[in-house]
Amino acid sequence: MNSDRLLGLAAIAMAAAMTVAAWGYAAPVEYEPVGPRAFPLLLAALLAMAGAWLAIKPGRHVDLLRGAQSGVIAFCAASIVVYGIVFQLLGFVVATALMALPVGRIFGGTWKQCLLTGVGMGLVLYVLFDKLLDVVLPKGVLEPVFSLIGL
Amino acid sequence: MDSFSYLATGFGVALQPMNLLVATFGAFIGTVVGLLPGLGPINGVAILLPLAFALKMPPETALILLAAVYIGCEYGGRISSILLNVPGDAAAIMTAMDGYPMAKKGLGGVALSISAWSSFVGSMIATAGLAICTPILAKWALAFGPAEYFALMVFAFACLTGLIGDQPVKALLATLVGLSLATVGVDANSGVYRFTFDSVHLTDGIQFIVVVIGLFSISELLLMLEEAAHASAIPETGRNMFNLKELARTWWGTVRSSVVGFVVGVLPGAGATVASAITYSMEKRLTDKEGTFGTGDIRGVAAPEAANNSAASGSFVPMLTLGVPGSGTTAVMMGALTLYNITPGPALFEQQPTLVWGLIASMFIGNVILLFMNIPMVGLFTRMLKVPNWALVPGILAVSTVGVYAVHATTFDLVLMSILGVVGYVLRKCEVPMAPLILGFVLGEMMEQNLRRALSITNGDIGILWESPISLGLWVCAAAMVTVPLLYKALSRRWRQARLQAAA
Repeated sequence: MNSDRLLGLAAIAMAAAMTVAAWGYAAPVEYEPVGPRAFPLLLAALLAMAGAWLAIKPGRHVDLLRGAQSGVIAFCAASIVVYGIVFQLLGFVVATALMALPVGRIFGGTWKQCLLTGVGMGLVLYVLFDKLLDVVLPKGVLEPVFSLIGL
Repeated sequence: MDSFSYLATGFGVALQPMNLLVATFGAFIGTVVGLLPGLGPINGVAILLPLAFALKMPPETALILLAAVYIGCEYGGRISSILLNVPGDAAAIMTAMDGYPMAKKGLGGVALSISAWSSFVGSMIATAGLAICTPILAKWALAFGPAEYFALMVFAFACLTGLIGDQPVKALLATLVGLSLATVGVDANSGVYRFTFDSVHLTDGIQFIVVVIGLFSISELLLMLEEAAHASAIPETGRNMFNLKELARTWWGTVRSSVVGFVVGVLPGAGATVASAITYSMEKRLTDKEGTFGTGDIRGVAAPEAANNSAASGSFVPMLTLGVPGSGTTAVMMGALTLYNITPGPALFEQQPTLVWGLIASMFIGNVILLFMNIPMVGLFTRMLKVPNWALVPGILAVSTVGVYAVHATTFDLVLMSILGVVGYVLRKCEVPMAPLILGFVLGEMMEQNLRRALSITNGDIGILWESPISLGLWVCAAAMVTVPLLYKALSRRWRQARLQAAA
């Protein structure tokens, strides 16, 4: 299916969901002519119109997922999501080292290069932000080690 | 007090050692981000914004940093355009047209130095324009009521829709998505929770930094996967400085392009990319008698560089005076100011004169720093092009994530950031422009508030929206912005067909 048509249908679906969710929004005390519901509903209506336009008159097609690359991109996207999830759990240094490995590999580094960059970057950025710049980062699983060496 | 004494105060702020240091740092980072293919000013500003906030910089220092990064990017973009034929950011596309052929002829050093010079001239002219125009415009804008503001924002979106890309409906779609994202959270007027789905994390809305980093930085990293491997840079040979003859040859084109670039930059929505495209074709039509544009003509390097820099500075005008940003990057900066509880707009000049004038003065100083950084240190910057992606991408990802984490320190924000990154990637693949989306997100709340306030005045009669001459004029301009490019496209297509038929 044409990518624009898909986009248009997605926009219509989003507009529908917005309408359903926003329908019940009402102020407990109504003191102005336009309540909290009008603006979202207006946006949903316009969104549905723009979506319908795209679905009826789509432009040229773009391949969203080109065969060989789709797997790589999905893997990279997954690595980024996982990084977000484990960032606080494992701590900045470990999470960053773990992220740099798959992401670096995707971008053509060797195992050794990626491992060294990841670990080095994790440590350097941690010291830079947490110690020098006062941006508190999670210590995570390395907490006992950090407190041992006084970082 | 007149503008000059204000400007003197501004220089007092900008020349404080801390602010000077920050401006130099920002100029350096900006140039590096600008020259890296794929990363543009929005990415640079988006990466540094959370840091500025987390470091608890005072607002004027943060703004000086971000402005230096923004201007620095416009300087940096030209380096990879000239040496690699790969524009470092979108606004430098036109610079590659003549810059790369010049480099191939062995004049890379001259192209780099003349473009640094014309960037400087462009920025300086635009910053002077900024210092002159903004106080006047701000005074005029004080007369704006909610209805005028609403019309002005419609005009800004119309500019973006009409000027960006060939599919206006996608720009409209992006605007609407941005506006919708802005409605998430508790409604200030009635206390109703909208689209929060009972999540505590969404009660005060989606964090601005999460949206910016997700949609711009994360999606950019995914897009980088598709790009071909780095092309190799052309080594610099021969002299590095332009001579007086070359300076004279480019001078008037540079000045013309700077003025046009400034005017284009002031229009909300049209930014540096549009400005450099317009001035390149303008210079080609005006001065290219021999047909040498595109084959390494030095005038074709100077003009678009002057224009994109002056447009970047010009886009501060609508942000500072009206509170309606002129480009995606200034939209991000405006978001930065709102993080400090400062609302840009006409009142800003009276409430925060040190902030505004400090920023303007720092732009003058930043340009001098950039000129001195960019001519002798160009070799250092070209070496940056050799940083491999396998180290660069994880680095950008880590720094961006730190920035998002620094605001609220929740896993929720990080996951939302990565999801928005994937969504942004898909949208960009579908050729949906991101600038209207971020503008919509930044302006969403203001737009709704002004609409509701306007309608409260008349108790629900929507006639007020086009009652005053100012708002009526803005509606007319908005309509023209959308229809004129479409008409022009349709007409030029018909002309071309007619000409083809005549030829056949």
